[in-house]
Amino acid sequence: MFKAALNEIKIISKNEEKNLLSNIKFHLEPNQIFTILGKNGSGKSTLIRALTGLLDKRFYSVSGEVIFNGKNIFSMDQKSLLELRRDKIKYIFQDAVNSFDHLKKLKYYFNSFVKDRKEIEPLLEYFLLPKKEELFKLYPYEVSGGMAQRISFVLALLTHPQIIFLDEPTSGIDSAIANLFLLKMKEFVKRENNSIIIVMQDLLFAKKASDKIAYLSNGTLSEFQFPDKFFIANQKTFPAELLIEN
Amino acid sequence: METILKVENICYSAEQKSFIGFTGEKKEILKNISFDLEKGKILGIAGESGSGKTTLAKLIAGIIKPSSGKIIINDQNRKTRINPVQILFQNNGEVLNPFREIEEVVEEAIRLRSRIKLKEEKEKIFNSVNFPGHLWKRKGFGLSGGEQQRAALARLLAVEPELLILDEPFSAQDPDSQINFLNLFKKINEEFGITLICISHNLKLLRLLANNIIIMYKGEIVETGSSDEIFSSPKHPYTKFLLRAENYDLKYEELKFEQ
Repeated sequence: MFKAALNEIKIISKNEEKNLLSNIKFHLEPNQIFTILGKNGSGKSTLIRALTGLLDKRFYSVSGEVIFNGKNIFSMDQKSLLELRRDKIKYIFQDAVNSFDHLKKLKYYFNSFVKDRKEIEPLLEYFLLPKKEELFKLYPYEVSGGMAQRISFVLALLTHPQIIFLDEPTSGIDSAIANLFLLKMKEFVKRENNSIIIVMQDLLFAKKASDKIAYLSNGTLSEFQFPDKFFIANQKTFPAELLIEN
Repeated sequence: METILKVENICYSAEQKSFIGFTGEKKEILKNISFDLEKGKILGIAGESGSGKTTLAKLIAGIIKPSSGKIIINDQNRKTRINPVQILFQNNGEVLNPFREIEEVVEEAIRLRSRIKLKEEKEKIFNSVNFPGHLWKRKGFGLSGGEQQRAALARLLAVEPELLILDEPFSAQDPDSQINFLNLFKKINEEFGITLICISHNLKLLRLLANNIIIMYKGEIVETGSSDEIFSSPKHPYTKFLLRAENYDLKYEELKFEQ
């Protein structure tokens, strides 16, 4: 369903090319949550952006292929790529506030991409967001970072995508709200052929949420493993204190 | 034991601007906050965003004044007139002057209190926060998030505070850096004898750092105790809720915490 084989992701500046990531291979099975852990600056966000051609071609070069539902994403024309990102593959960015156009009220987003309007109210309520009448009137800069992240997630769910990418979904939100995300993610991947990719640094969340985890370091991605196995194999990599439960 | 800070019945309310007009209504942000802090200890303050943690920090540092109540800081032995309470803010990237080298900023801060042994002092401070020499001539924006935090910390140590407040120092850091900073704060506490208050929503890290912990909910202190007490036998329902939430074990029915 989703198969990535990236040979190289390079960053181009002036006359130089610098290798950021190389030899990244994985495939996603349906109905599962995959997590990629990695330090600040290891290239997590760059990787998930590269997968659907979101990196600016003036500054990055990406070689390889990403096969989604039988088609190579990298050889799609711009129009099909936009449709793909509108309908099938959604992103929730870390800086959720700025992933909205600040000159458009939130109503615009709910009017543009939603498949079934009846789902709006229950989802807003689920994520402890204000009622539709209030929320739609707001501009993106009027909501907090954590709220924007929730709104982003609600909008993604409302378009019924097949894959959701989440970039650091727990940074900047309370752990109680992070629980909400976790429960909804699990529910989402149960349906149809859905799956989720998370890139983050929160070890315990990764352990609780994921079906499989991989580690991005030194420019490449490890194999995806079951959480228990993953943390045993990487004992020396992560501080054990942070995996202790309260 | 010597008390460095006494907070007595602090209340703080602020005018809230509504979205539509300018008609503000008074909102109580902190209600009847009282606690004592012993010199040389580390106090953790936890609670959700919006529970008033940062407001409390600003009150203690004297940046804002309480609506009622008293804050007493024991600084009788202090030789300088520099504020004995300093805050390490969350957004260090914006706090550091973008036009000046880190070395210059720290030197200036040392000169505020002493003009002798400038070089030794500077080296001692940079070493204690693990800020390597090749970064001294950089400016704030040329540093990574973690380096900015170390630079800002060096600037604060330069004025020899009695009490240092750390406002969410672990957010936006990878697990390794979190543990590194945790150890760094312990070292500062021991080596310089500086009393620390650490504000964080991350109870797990507070447990590893603090002697005592205060749990805040909607502007009030709902529980205080030693780190061990809070974790092994939490009493208030909100503390229990926070601890479970941090394990990511909550069911949907348990998620809305209302007292």
